[in-house]
Amino acid sequence: MNIIKTVLAGLVGTMAIGAPALAQDFPAKPVTIIVPFSAGGGTDITTRTLAGPMAKALGGEIVVKNTAGAGGTIGAAETARARADGYTVGMMPVGPMTTQPHLRELPYDPDSFDYVCQAYSAPSSLVVRQDSPFQSLDDMLTYAKENPGELNYGVQAVGSIPHVAGLGLASASGAEFTFIPYKGSAPTFKAMLDGSIDMFVAHISFLTQNSDQVRSIAMLTSDRVSTAEDLPTAAEQGVPMNFPIWGGIVAPKGIPAEAKAALEAACEAGMNSDAFKARMAELRMPIAFMGGDDFEAFVKSEFDKNDKLLTEAGLKK
Amino acid sequence: MDAFSLGLDHVLTLSALVAIVIGTIMGVAVGVLPGLGSVIGITMVLPFTFSMEQVPALALMLGIYCGSVYGGSISAIVINTPGTPQAAATALDGYPMAQRGEADLAIGWATVASVTGGLFSVGVLIIAAPQLAAFSLNFTSIEYFALGVFALICIANVSRGAMSKGLLAGAIGLFLATIGVDHVTGDMRFTFGSFEMTAGISLIPAIVGLFALSEVFIRASESTRVKAVIAHNVGFRLPPFSDWVPRLWLLLKSCVLGSFIGTLPGTGAATASFIAYSEAKRSAPNRDKLGTGEPDGIVAAESANNAVTGSAMVPTLALGIPGDPVTAVMLGTFIVHGLAPGPRLFTEHLDLVYAVFLILVVVNLVMFVVGALGAQIFTRALKVPEPLLMTMVVVIAIVGAYGVRGNPLDLVTAFLAGLGGFALRKAGFPLAPLVIGMVLSEMIENSLRQGLLLTRGSFLAFFERPIALTLFILTAFLLVWPAIRWLRGRKREARNDIPDV
Repeated sequence: MNIIKTVLAGLVGTMAIGAPALAQDFPAKPVTIIVPFSAGGGTDITTRTLAGPMAKALGGEIVVKNTAGAGGTIGAAETARARADGYTVGMMPVGPMTTQPHLRELPYDPDSFDYVCQAYSAPSSLVVRQDSPFQSLDDMLTYAKENPGELNYGVQAVGSIPHVAGLGLASASGAEFTFIPYKGSAPTFKAMLDGSIDMFVAHISFLTQNSDQVRSIAMLTSDRVSTAEDLPTAAEQGVPMNFPIWGGIVAPKGIPAEAKAALEAACEAGMNSDAFKARMAELRMPIAFMGGDDFEAFVKSEFDKNDKLLTEAGLKK
Repeated sequence: MDAFSLGLDHVLTLSALVAIVIGTIMGVAVGVLPGLGSVIGITMVLPFTFSMEQVPALALMLGIYCGSVYGGSISAIVINTPGTPQAAATALDGYPMAQRGEADLAIGWATVASVTGGLFSVGVLIIAAPQLAAFSLNFTSIEYFALGVFALICIANVSRGAMSKGLLAGAIGLFLATIGVDHVTGDMRFTFGSFEMTAGISLIPAIVGLFALSEVFIRASESTRVKAVIAHNVGFRLPPFSDWVPRLWLLLKSCVLGSFIGTLPGTGAATASFIAYSEAKRSAPNRDKLGTGEPDGIVAAESANNAVTGSAMVPTLALGIPGDPVTAVMLGTFIVHGLAPGPRLFTEHLDLVYAVFLILVVVNLVMFVVGALGAQIFTRALKVPEPLLMTMVVVIAIVGAYGVRGNPLDLVTAFLAGLGGFALRKAGFPLAPLVIGMVLSEMIENSLRQGLLLTRGSFLAFFERPIALTLFILTAFLLVWPAIRWLRGRKREARNDIPDV
């Protein structure tokens, strides 16, 4: 009898220890997050800020790897092609996910991924120089309509969200701009300060950091932004536009459900950590968590929206 | 004055000073290793800076930045492989000196020139940062184009011996850089349908291959021949002051060139060092010996590229426009600590601006010590048996080529560049013009096309802008300069020929 009791107790004990061990199968080794841009950029810094608290929630290690090149598509392709075991995921921003695939042949599309979470979504804003004569969106559009093509609209990269937003503004308002492509945000900002361009679309954190040199004439959001209540939206000024600059974690298609669930939970916990929140607050970025399923639906709707805008503008290849 | 003493307080703390020393040592180390450059160094410490205090974080980054620009010269001198693209011009005279057994002296020249250049640019930063930043705004795409064309003349100046081969190598460089995305239309060029090629040819793997791997291939192909034993001097030797005196003007001029080019975001230390080298070729006291192991070449290149480090902070701090990935990360550090860059920084947080200046001064002094001590180690590489040294070079080159963007194609690029470099060198083509072509290609092409968009397609409008026009005239002048000199020489000869009556 005693022997049976001992054996039973032993079995129960083993099961008790075994159960959490099963739940903790993932992660058994470090998880790599591919960032499709160079170290030190906005996407990279957000990812690295999130990686710490997310790793803690995941109970494992997270390594950030930068695979830069060709507008983020090299890193996105690397993510899509990685082994679908949940140990390689990517922090993929709006560009490589929803605009680049319309511009040229790429070895991936939105169906190549499983969706873990949205990690950030920054409101964008149409900015002008502090000393610009334009006080409102309407001022600018009136001038642009009277002088077609005279205003220079700078874009950070052909087919990027700021470019798509400008195309959207032109088609919605009937104004005409001359688009001038630069390579990245620093040269675009420089072109604005040296007087080459009249406006461009920027991330809210850029606006916050450079508020003594630029100002917003329209936030490109459906509603006023909680972190910038004082700034009117384009919608209020008669042109409804919503162009957030977002990014999220995606995995190669077909990762195990438990890995996906663990990553999604860790992403949410990481984004709700004090460290991440404090960092986002400094940049006036809202915390914009979205679960995997919602994020997937969102990415696919953005994909179609940008398809339409790029086709209308004749940029679609 | 108050802000100055506050700035001094920020810097004279144990944590800031330790950060400076560690940063500089790390910077020199990543600079020496081909392929690993300023950006990799900064990335390695980036996660730590989030939790550091602001001044030590900046000190660490500035140390890495300045140290890496200097460190690249050591490998350029010792193994003919610029550790960073910024040091490509240094190899032109540094390596021939090392081949003569004077690596210690070459490093001495490079160190003194680097430190002088660095300190000079801090001086510029202190005196005129806001004014220079404002002036740099006179440079639109049109002026950048004019500057790029002006810098292309360097190709003619570094093509010793074989001008046609130099020009051809330069053209190859210009062409290679066009592979990948066309930044103005978004189209793909010369990718032959390969997705990996859309990322283009990355400069660092190409340089690693062209210089480091081709050097390995060259040595391997010559292994059967008995080589003359060169007595290499190991260590660090300061050039005597009397050798400096005739070169002071050259030094000053290169410092000014580097400091000015540094204030233009997006041009960079590589362009600065080539322009300074080119100017040395035109006017230096020993210009005819340039390229054969003449310290003038090292002095010009190294003072100019280090002068960029200080002045690159001008647009970063005063306008909020970072000129390269390194200053972009530093800008991020400022922002993390709640400091908005821009004109207001200089009025509201002058103490921190002074702290940056002071950090740069200390970094440059520490760099001298690190260089002097480090040279003892690095020059010993010359005494390592050649097969061992070359194996090490291969390993470092591969790590460096892959590390920059983690793209496996970059390994192929490095290997092919190595074969290409080997073939070019065997055929007597100089490699420096190829690098100049690659560095300048994007700037020239993009700024030309942006400029044409701005002028709505008018080339003539380019000549209506005073700064661009001046640069175009200077370019034209420099192109005909050799002819003028030759004509003048002939006239003088002719005059001498007149028989005495």
